[in-house]
Amino acid sequence: MAPQLEQLTPPAVRLQGLTRSFGGRTVLDGIDLDLPAGQFTALLGHSGSGKSTLLRAVAGLDHGVAGSGRLTAPERVSVVFQDSRLLPWRRVLDNVVLGTDGKDAEERGRAALAEVGLKGRERAWPGELSGGEAQRAALARSLVREPELLLADEPFGALDALTRIRMHTLLRDLWQRHRPSVLLVTHDVDEAIVLADRVLVLDQGRIALDLTIDHPHPRTYREPVLGEYREHLLTALGVTEDHK
Amino acid sequence: MTAVTTTTTAVAAAEAGEVPQVRRRRRLSPGRRLPAARLIGPLAVLALWAAASAAGTLDPGAIPAPWTVLRTAGRLWTDGTLPTDILTSLRRAGYGFAIGLSAGVLLALASGLSRTGEALIDGTVQLNRAIPTLGLIPLFILWLGIGETFKVAIIAIVVYIPVYLNTHAALAGIDSRYVELAEVQGLSRLAFIRQVVIPGALPGFFVGLRLGVTSSWLGLVVLEQINATSGLGYLMFQAQNYGQSDVILVGLLVYGVFGLVSDSVVRLVERRVLSWRRSLNN
Repeated sequence: MAPQLEQLTPPAVRLQGLTRSFGGRTVLDGIDLDLPAGQFTALLGHSGSGKSTLLRAVAGLDHGVAGSGRLTAPERVSVVFQDSRLLPWRRVLDNVVLGTDGKDAEERGRAALAEVGLKGRERAWPGELSGGEAQRAALARSLVREPELLLADEPFGALDALTRIRMHTLLRDLWQRHRPSVLLVTHDVDEAIVLADRVLVLDQGRIALDLTIDHPHPRTYREPVLGEYREHLLTALGVTEDHK
Repeated sequence: MTAVTTTTTAVAAAEAGEVPQVRRRRRLSPGRRLPAARLIGPLAVLALWAAASAAGTLDPGAIPAPWTVLRTAGRLWTDGTLPTDILTSLRRAGYGFAIGLSAGVLLALASGLSRTGEALIDGTVQLNRAIPTLGLIPLFILWLGIGETFKVAIIAIVVYIPVYLNTHAALAGIDSRYVELAEVQGLSRLAFIRQVVIPGALPGFFVGLRLGVTSSWLGLVVLEQINATSGLGYLMFQAQNYGQSDVILVGLLVYGVFGLVSDSVVRLVERRVLSWRRSLNN
């Protein structure tokens, strides 16, 4: 079923023999990867496995990095970083519409803020937001642009556990409503399993595992089926249950 | 260990039928600030001065009483000497400051926003900084004569250096994460400069501005006391020749008021412009 779909619609992102290296050390080693339009993909890997390098390459942010290969990505790409990266001197709404032109920019900004549950906080300074709220604002900023591809680089890594769970639900809801292709870089196996329909494991610059998670949403951490996926992924990451 | 001990004590206390008392720790921080704390020291000094003058322990020739200084100030004001001198001094400082500020900001922008500008400007300014500006006075007198132009020029140089250095450092030190964000959000170069670089550099600019204000007064004092025929410094210099210590103190008082007022104005503007910073402090 999946291969047929891929043939019908062109993939949102296509990587062909993508290689990147820093100072002679190969970080991405000839990666071939298609991300179908509208798919929610998670990218797992140890620190230093090259997952952020891959995301930055797709985002077009790797200036001056040596590499080769072909890379196709859509026109409208949004990035959510680990830190909310709100400009402290702009109010929340002005941050959300940063780089958005047009008369309706403000209106769209307000709508995006409402969608992430920050209605009424438009005039707040970023310094007045909690970590979770700031990351919601960052999500709103990425939504305003109606992205075809949403890249997220460990977006919940700096949040506390309770906030993170709420953000998972929010991200999944937003994805279901707007249907961008999502590439979520994370080191949290559970996060990947709960959120994504496909999980990739990156190891030493290559895709070590490409796992489709065929399980209905919403998912919780405690579902036994997901435990199997978890073990599968942990093995691919070189972690055995004894270590936990 | 500690937890266990505490529990035992608490249990013992509860058994004895009394609520265990928590002993407050000895406070090591200085505690709450006194009201109007910044005024207390100066007021005490003033009181001491007045008391010593009244008791006759101070030589009125060296340190006249506060009321003598005030009376002299009133006399100088009504006979028109003081207003003229203040105006002359303010004009010098004002022109010099305005020119220095504009030059500092323009050069910092040119050097902070383009690599060519940086190559041309930054090294030159750093070299200029290495030469004490007041050491340039003889040369500038030769070039520009001993009139107002040379004084304004020296004050401008004294001001532009701290303004340039701090503004340039702030522009060049823009957080690379914000640069990345601007790239992701597809900002044009102009929008990037206007919305990210310049607002981000404003705190640094204000540091330079405050240093520049202080420097302008310092430059003014030096210039007026060595090479002037008018202005506050000249007034004080003349008073020195005639042994009028009360006039010298009046001059110092006015300089002090200049410094205080200008610094307060800059602070006020800074608080207004950087109001977002208050949200970061808590």
